[in-house]
Amino acid sequence: MSRVDELERLYQTSYTAVVRFLYRKVWDADRAEDLAQEVFLRLFQHKPEKPRAWIFAVAANLARDEARSAIRRRKHLTLLSTDPTPAPSRVQAADEAVEHDEQMEAVQQALAALTPRDREVLLLWDAGLSYPEIAAQTGLAVGAVGTTLARARKRLVEAYDTQHAQDHAAHS
Amino acid sequence: MRHIPEEELHSYLDQALSRSQCVEIESHLARCAWCRASRDGIAALRDRTTALLSTLTPVRHRIPPSWDSLSLQAAARGSRRVRLGQAGLWAASIAAAVGLGWAGQGLLSRAPSAAPTQQAALTVPSDSGLVQQLAVQTSPETSRAPEAPRPAVTSTEQAAATPSAARTHRTVEERSALMDSDSSVSAYSPSEPVGSRLSAGGLPSSDFDLTGGGMWRTLSWDNAKRERGESVPRIRGLPVVEVQVAAASRDSSGQPTMIVAQQLRSGQLIHTIEGPATDVTRLLASQRSEGKSPWPTMDDSTAVSDGTMAMRHGDRMLAIQASPSVPADSLRAMIRRLNAANR
Repeated sequence: MSRVDELERLYQTSYTAVVRFLYRKVWDADRAEDLAQEVFLRLFQHKPEKPRAWIFAVAANLARDEARSAIRRRKHLTLLSTDPTPAPSRVQAADEAVEHDEQMEAVQQALAALTPRDREVLLLWDAGLSYPEIAAQTGLAVGAVGTTLARARKRLVEAYDTQHAQDHAAHS
Repeated sequence: MRHIPEEELHSYLDQALSRSQCVEIESHLARCAWCRASRDGIAALRDRTTALLSTLTPVRHRIPPSWDSLSLQAAARGSRRVRLGQAGLWAASIAAAVGLGWAGQGLLSRAPSAAPTQQAALTVPSDSGLVQQLAVQTSPETSRAPEAPRPAVTSTEQAAATPSAARTHRTVEERSALMDSDSSVSAYSPSEPVGSRLSAGGLPSSDFDLTGGGMWRTLSWDNAKRERGESVPRIRGLPVVEVQVAAASRDSSGQPTMIVAQQLRSGQLIHTIEGPATDVTRLLASQRSEGKSPWPTMDDSTAVSDGTMAMRHGDRMLAIQASPSVPADSLRAMIRRLNAANR
């Protein structure tokens, strides 16, 4: 298989994972798609040695830059906005959708409760990276990836359950 | 007996251990009920984490670009960077030369001379692809800043008006310009249309006659804007070459079908068609050979075929036609943006 074929295959098999990985960092589906395209454009230009790990490293960097500029934008907006933000006009139709949104929000909050390193390792693992790939990207020793994942999984579930219990108490 | 540490069981289940480590763990598990229970607990935790994370999946509205379009975009970006770099060096050398000349002149006569940028502009060869590139790159700037130096606009017009120059960078450039337009239309600021100065005959050939011989009026870009305001269906950032309006409309709203021809940097033409659905459907049907899928008949549906994409909204329809045909992904992306802009 030629180098370009290999990259194309990677694109076909990993594009969705990259979008999902980015979405879990920027929380905007459209933005995640834009950034994912940017990742693969750069992949094509650079043709790195270890492309699979490389795309996630670039995705993580892009998301980080995005977060920084989002903070800057927010500050700017806070300065600019004097009117209260209008209430969302769209009414959610189905109960299911609402429930899904609530669950998603709870998981999002649980994820936010992790330390940045634990979160990164967990997301990289979920994106399909191997221990050595995660280690290379995060600077951890390969042996420490398992420990980090063990802790991250436990904390995510704990944080989610706590959140869920609180929500239930609030609803009842 | 020493039990297996939790993190090691995670690594084991994640298949991150060596073969020998796995054998060791498996033989221990066979003898140790405590560790087996621990393994089952960790397996459940692992599954639960995966399930929780799976809720954090974006609702996707977009179709990912094809690999081909992406690689063309990447190639274009690379060549643009190289060329801009060259252009930068070249411009710097001209500036230096002009600067020297200017300084020399100053020494000789002490008379006030023209601004160095204007002198530099005179030496710009109009048939150079490099200059075309430079000009196209700078034209969005010039439309934003009317006081910007003149040369950029001049050479854009010249490049667009001479098909031979425009064709210099066909193939990759041609497709890439299109990719640019679909990926960064909103980032572009509209450049000044060059349409009024161009006759259809001077353009790179379009291999179809869109109007199909009916009664059509050809408008200048300014007149089109005067008639339709901002609702002229077009891809922002690309020069408008020609605007044609059907003489009659079947629509009760009275807005007849409008066809806007726009030119990519490379010379390729894109037509945007907007009008009563019945008229647009007929127009599109007349362009196509028999046996193709019908154009959309229900609200909000889209159809794509042979470098053409159509989207229907109630009794209006919006379509894009590109010649030669471009990837469906690009068309789809373009029509979405157009549709968003037209709403």
